[in-house]
This record gives sequence, structure tokens and C-alpha cells, in this order.
Amino acid sequence: MAVDVGAPYATRVRQALADDGMRTALDRATGHLKERRDRAMAEIDERRLRDEAGAVRRYAIERLPDLLEQLEANLIANGCHVHWARDAAEAVGVVLEIAREHEVGDVVKSKSMVTEEIGLNEALERSGIDVVETDLGEFIVQLAGESPSHILAPVIHKRVEDIAEIFRIRLNTPRTTSPAALCAAARRELRNEFLVADMGISGCNFAIAETGTICVITNEGNGRMVTSLPRVYVAIAGIEKVVRSAEDAVLLWQAATRNATGQNVSVYFSMSSGPRRRGDTDGPEEMHVILLDNGRSRILERGYADAALCIRCGACIDICPVYREIGGHAYGRTPYSGPIGAVLTPLLDYDIHAARDLPFASSLCGACRDVCPVKIDLPRLLLDLRSVVVERGASPVGERAAIRAYSTVMRRPAPYRALARLAGWLGPLAGLLPPLSTWKRDRGLPRFAARRFGALWRERVRDEEGAAG
Amino acid sequence: MTYDSTEARGAILARLRHTLAGPRPIFRDRSEPSAPPTVPTAVTRADGDRRSLAKQFGAQLAEISGSYEILEDAAEAGERLVQLVKEWSAEMGAGAGEVPEVLSWAARALPGENLAGFLEESGISFFVPEDLHDESTRARAARAKVGLTGADAAFASTGSIVVASGRGRSRAASLLPLRHLVLLPMSRIYPTFEDWLHTLRQDQALGSYLRVSGQIVFITGPSKSADIELNITLGVHGPRAVHALIFDDAW
Amino acid sequence: MTDNSTTRPRVALFVTCMVDTLQPGVGTAAAELLERHGVDVIFPEKQTCCGQPAYNAGYRKDAQVMARHFVDVFWPLVDEGSIDAIVAPSGSCVAMVKLQYPILFEATDEGYHWRAIQLGEVTYELTQYLVDFLGVLDTGAEFSGKIAYHPCCHLLRELRIDTQPRRLLAAMRDAEIVDLQGADECCGFGGLFALKNAEISTAMGRRKAHNLVASGAELVVMNDVSCMTHLNGILEHEGHSCRAVHIADLLNRRSESDGG
Repeated sequence: MAVDVGAPYATRVRQALADDGMRTALDRATGHLKERRDRAMAEIDERRLRDEAGAVRRYAIERLPDLLEQLEANLIANGCHVHWARDAAEAVGVVLEIAREHEVGDVVKSKSMVTEEIGLNEALERSGIDVVETDLGEFIVQLAGESPSHILAPVIHKRVEDIAEIFRIRLNTPRTTSPAALCAAARRELRNEFLVADMGISGCNFAIAETGTICVITNEGNGRMVTSLPRVYVAIAGIEKVVRSAEDAVLLWQAATRNATGQNVSVYFSMSSGPRRRGDTDGPEEMHVILLDNGRSRILERGYADAALCIRCGACIDICPVYREIGGHAYGRTPYSGPIGAVLTPLLDYDIHAARDLPFASSLCGACRDVCPVKIDLPRLLLDLRSVVVERGASPVGERAAIRAYSTVMRRPAPYRALARLAGWLGPLAGLLPPLSTWKRDRGLPRFAARRFGALWRERVRDEEGAAG
Repeated sequence: MTYDSTEARGAILARLRHTLAGPRPIFRDRSEPSAPPTVPTAVTRADGDRRSLAKQFGAQLAEISGSYEILEDAAEAGERLVQLVKEWSAEMGAGAGEVPEVLSWAARALPGENLAGFLEESGISFFVPEDLHDESTRARAARAKVGLTGADAAFASTGSIVVASGRGRSRAASLLPLRHLVLLPMSRIYPTFEDWLHTLRQDQALGSYLRVSGQIVFITGPSKSADIELNITLGVHGPRAVHALIFDDAW
Repeated sequence: MTDNSTTRPRVALFVTCMVDTLQPGVGTAAAELLERHGVDVIFPEKQTCCGQPAYNAGYRKDAQVMARHFVDVFWPLVDEGSIDAIVAPSGSCVAMVKLQYPILFEATDEGYHWRAIQLGEVTYELTQYLVDFLGVLDTGAEFSGKIAYHPCCHLLRELRIDTQPRRLLAAMRDAEIVDLQGADECCGFGGLFALKNAEISTAMGRRKAHNLVASGAELVVMNDVSCMTHLNGILEHEGHSCRAVHIADLLNRRSESDGG
């Protein structure tokens, strides 16, 4: 059973935990990714890379408006059209307008989480435009009618046998579980799409302010196709993607890919600085860049700019023990999952209430903080967001009351001792009470000690005094 | 709905400026940030003379499923190129006497002196498209089995090359065919990305280099995907093979 | 009072609420270990909970109530110079005091903020204090059998304490320390997470239990009673014979012949 991303959190988690196929796929994949990353990090000076990558990102966020203006000026000087969008609706509107103007019928897209964030595919399809996802993983997810479950490996939740079945049904591919054969089928199918598409759409990994350059990372080459073959190319960049210089972009590219897949660098790093030049053989005739806010300026306003440092490498997701159990779809209708998703999703949402469960979907083990290439203190952000949920009154009433009672007892030694004694007396019966009844569903019950340490200590002190006297 | 990009721009920038000028810190992490490096430290490493760098480049490329040969000079590279194209064409089932077609950069955009004349007489058709938005040109380019390009720079520590789009330098040649041949003079191999960027920066050429072309691409090995249960499959969209013909141009 | 007694380190034992109510023996073991290595131990009886459960669940005001109580109990001892250190048999609670108290009081209470920082500087986890402060390399403990070590998350990744407990375990006689696959992965406890996200928590716990069984360990040792309780619950429910024990209990295990 697949996870219904529109269902409530508890349902999504239950569905995810019951999906054995998905959990097998996740198990196979995340373990591999972790190993690869570890090996790749052992080859370099990881501490220095983190220091420099973190500093470069922080520098950019602290100068965001100035860098954005510089970026815009250079993009325009390079012959690009620049559009600003406050929210998803504005960004979608811009894309539709460009499509209408150029009578676009077919769009090819390179994997972009920001377009998932703004629901671009649905909007284009509603306007009668065919949209084809061209990243192999995202193509499979699109064929299956699902959404990506990982920012970099969209179909990480499926086993090769599940994928083969989708290909058989949707593309009439002969039954095979050979990844090479499946890949070849996708190449044939998508090659034609690239050649006929009127418009290419990509996200943006980094936007270089100094030169007006949009950088796109891919391994498959679909990013190059999308930015090179159609007549019109539209790049959608979150405003936080801007960086100072080419040196910074190349540094972050290396940090992102080494963390993501353990490669030195991705196979392709495309740096587009405008449409095809006069006399060029190929390349788009028009290049549009949409600078999208959609909650990002609010992240800074709320004092969570740390989250805006993220370069979407996915390392925190791959190492997260919670993600490994439940996968990306359990995080709901958001392209961002894992620890960074649990932070970004509620922050990007104007109404924190909608994603109020996500900051709690973490055991705060801190593994994510240790791998983050730009040193985001994710547990800290999760803790702070939890307090926001509580302050807004969005936590469960029973929990609220229980915590209040707990803190009332705990600030006075006498009632605390009395309660501990009571628990000791109750023994196994304590398991009938609400918090422990949840506990014991899949766990043996802890037994409260008949006599607490404090009592034992007092006795000991008395004995010693007795012996001395 | 009325949308005005200028208005959105003003609102976004004003909001950011207001936040940054305000008393409230934007970061949770209050530790003093370190200054960003003006010259980032090289992440990967390579060193040695030109030959040694060429070998390291080749070894790195081979590591990621690419391949390479080191040749004495441009002439030898040209001969090898022709030989390879003929072998591959036979492998891919081209009939005897059929002239294999290579989707190529223009001769003047390829490195190596006198190479153009040599290639012209080789019996291979080098197709240098003029405008890929033209449908028949595009269809012809799409049929090519081999692409041929040069490279502006290459990096020994990662096996990467840099190609820039431009007149006679199609993006398609390194992208559409299943096999990509790169003619690479040793003088263009730098130890690392950072060394190259630093050189361009010092010569005050970095900005113009990036902006003069519509697109600059770093290519590191053949196209690949790990999307199906992390199985590495090659040639998912771009070339399945990247073969570098490295030649010594020191004289 | 002799000169000797004034040079003995004086430690206030912060036993933590979970040890106090669930595993008092761990507190006793901690006290005995410290005393055996020349420490004068006192137990401030008014101590309760550091407030971490409320803090991690987002209830900062409630956490502050408990944190203030903690500061009120321990601060005077430090201030008047009657103790040199606060030691707890828990990485998690020590991390709360050292790393989270300053954040908790940062914007709200200058006085407590300052005192919390001072307290944090003299608060230690048990094995850290034994090794780094007392220079203990061997507690003289013995256990014949296979042992796995599970580094608890807050101990490992917040306090960065890892070599100290491993070193003391390695010095144990007869014990065979076995490799545990995914040792540094979270066991799934996570405070209120264990209840709020019970199914995920137990799924993580089962994975840990599976790795433990594969390791062949009879005992899995750790520095927090919270994770230990969770894991024992899982191991028991799954019908495995392996059990989780607190490191203080194990390090305090002495052979009969030693008894003195």
C-alpha cells in the first residue's frame, strides 16, 4: 500500500511503516548512500570544506538583497528576462504567460524541487500543456502518478521490480528487471521528447551574482538537454540560491555532490549565462529566470536563516534514522523530507499549523547536524520550531496538560517523591495509564523501582552516621 | 489577479532589507561566522608535470567509466581519432563502405594544428551543424553516433573537462551521440578546478569567459543515473562513453 | 579535617529522574565508583528533573520551571564552593544542562542564564569525569561474556564523549567487546518521541535489537537509562535474551575475591 501524501500525519506514518516494499527499497538505498558518502569524505579535508562552504553560504544570505540586485542586472545584461515572484501563484502565472506567448505545447523539465513546491506541473497540465519529467527517477514517479520521495533520488522508495512493472504497464516495456534495459527504454522514450519540446524548465542549484549565471547539477544530462534544446528556457530559482562568484559556486557544487552521492563532482554542471549568442549552433532563443520568494524572506524574518543555507545535498535525509523507516511521502504534500524537510516545510508554509507534526518527527539524534555540509544545526531548528508549535497552542490538549502537571510536580521535591513512591507501589499497574499504555504496545514495560534512589541514599547516610556514632 | 514583476521585486527586496536592518538576528547560530575564502581551498588534489597530470586526468576519467589515450602529438591524435570512428561505426553495425558521420565542432574550434585538413581527407563525414533549431538539421544531428569536441580546460584531480558553447561549438556534439570523443591538448590540463579558476581570476578573464558563452558545461565522465535502486546505469540521456584523446602540444 | 580530605574532589551527584525512579541501582553504582576513586559524593536531595522532556517537546515555559529548580538546587553548592563538580550518569541530561539551559534562559532571564552557564562548566557525565578528571583507566570491573557498546546520541554527538566509556569498557577483565553494526545509529528513544511517534520509535528500536542479536552480545552497554529502558522494552517484547545495561552498573561490577 502506498502512502497517501494528502492524509493526516499519523495515517501517512502508519501507511509508510506498513509498506514493506518501500521499506526494503529504502533500506537498500540509504545504507549504500551512507557508505559512499563516508568513503568520499575520507578522501578530503571535510572540516575545511564544511567551514568554507558554510561561510560562503552565510555570506550570501547576509547580503541577499544586494546580491539579488547584482544577479538581476547581470542576467539582464546577458540577455535574460528576469521575473520576480512573491509566491507560488505569481511564479506559476509567469510560466503560463511565457508558455502562452510562445504557443508552447510540450514542456520538458529537469528535476526541480522548487517546481514541486509551487505545483507547476499540475498548473501547466490544467492549461493543456504536456509536461514531461526527464530525470529518470522523476520520470518513473510521474509515470506512477506519484510525487518524489527524496529531493535527489525521487524514486528511492521503489524496488527495481516495482519500477519494471510501471514500465511494463505504461511504456509496454518487455518484462525485465535489468536496470540497464529499463534505462535504455527511458532514453528512447525521452530522447524524442527533448527533440520536440517547445520549452525547457529547470530549477537552479546556484545563481552567480557576479556573472549572471544559472547553475544546474545533473548526472544524466537531462539538465543539459532542457537548457539547450528547446527554443525557450525557463529557470526557477529560490531567492536564497544566489552566490557571490563562480569560485563559490564551484566550491558548493563539489560540497553538494560529494555529500549527495559520494562522487567527486556530478557528471554535468551546466552554467547558463543567457540565451544562445548570435551565430551559436544551438541553445535557447530566450532565457527566462524567475526569482521566487514563496516564504523564503519570511524564513529570514522569523530568524531561521540557517535553513536558507541548505544546498539540497540530501546528506541529512540519507543519514536520518527516522526517514529510513518512513520515507519521504510520510512528510506529506511537500517535496522536502527528512530533517531539512521537517524544518523547511513548516517554515515555508505561512500557517505553521499545517505541518505542525513534522518538527516532532525526529528523535533529535543529531546525525544530520554532523553531516550537513553547510553546518546547519538541524536539531536546534527542530527544537525551536517545536516551541513555536506549542506557543501557538497547536499541540495536543492532553499532552499540554500532562507536561504542565509534570513540571508542577518536578519543581517541588515533596510531590515528586510522593509520585515516585506511588509509581513504585503501582508497579506493573502503571502500564494501564495513558503514556505507558502507548509505550507498551510494542515494548516491554519499564518497572518503577519500589524504592527510589533518594530513599536508598538517605538510608545509606543514616547507616553511615549510625556506624560512625 | 494583477501581477507586476516590478512590484513583486520591490516587495521582496524591501522585506529582505527591512529584516536585515532590524535588531533581530536572522540566524539561530550566533557563533561568529568565518569569512568566506577569496580563494577557496582545492577540495581535490593533483600535482606533477604535464605528463603526470595527463595520466592523473586519465586515471580519474577511467575511474568513472570514461576512457583515455595519451598520444605524442596532434597528428597522432588525429590518426587515432579516424581509426576509432571507423572501428566504432563497424561495431555499431554500419555497413561496409558506408561513411560514418560524426557530429562535430567546426575544425577551427578543435585543438591541434593542421588537424582540419587531415580529417577532411579521412573519408569520415564531419557534420558541423549551423542551426539546430532547423528541423532537418536537428534530425540529422540526432542520428549521429559519435560526437567530437575539444575542451577549454580539463582537471587532473577529477577527470573533468570544460566545454563552452559558441559559434561552431555545438552543445549537441557532447550531448546527443552515444559516444563523445574529446581532443585534449596537455597544456589545457590543470591540477584542479580551483587552480584554473584562480588563473582566470588573476588574468581578470573569469567574468568574461563565463559570460561570453551562452553555456559553459563541466563534464565529468559519461552520463549516468543511479535512480533505479542505486544501480549505476550509463548513457541515460547523454553519452554512454566519453573518450579523451590527450596529446602533447608542448613545442 | 586533615589536609588529605580537603584535596579530595567533592562531587554532587545529579542522579536524574529516570535513574531515581526506574534504576536506583545505577545511582548507587555511580556513587560507589566515584567514592572508590577518591571522591566525596553528596546527593542534594531536592533535585528532581532537569526539564529535558518538556524542553524537547517544545514546552519551554514548563522546562524553565524545572530548569530553575535545578539551578536553585545546585547553584548554591557551586557558589559557596562546597562542591567542585556535578556528575550525572547520563549524557542526555548533562547535554541539557550544558547546552540547552543557556538557550532556554538566553532571552528570558539574565540571572539564570549566567548561573546556568557557570553550572554547565562544572557539570560532567560520569565516564567523562572518571577518565578526564580523575584519570581512571580501569575500574577493576570484570564480566565474562560478550558486550556491545551503544553510544547514546546526546553523549556522542552533543557532548562528543566516546573514547572515555570505550576505554573503561576495554579495560574490563574477561569481557569481549564485539562490533555492533550501526552502533552510532539512534535506538529510537528520543524522549517524548518514544510516545508521540511510538511506531517509528519502536521500528528504530527493532532495527537496533536486530543488530544486537547479530552481534552476539549478551549485554549492550550504554550511558543513559532512558535509551536503556526503551531498548530493554524492545528486546523483551521481541523475545531476545540480550539486555541493555547502564555502564555504571557494569563498571562497578567487581569480582567476589576483590571485595574489600
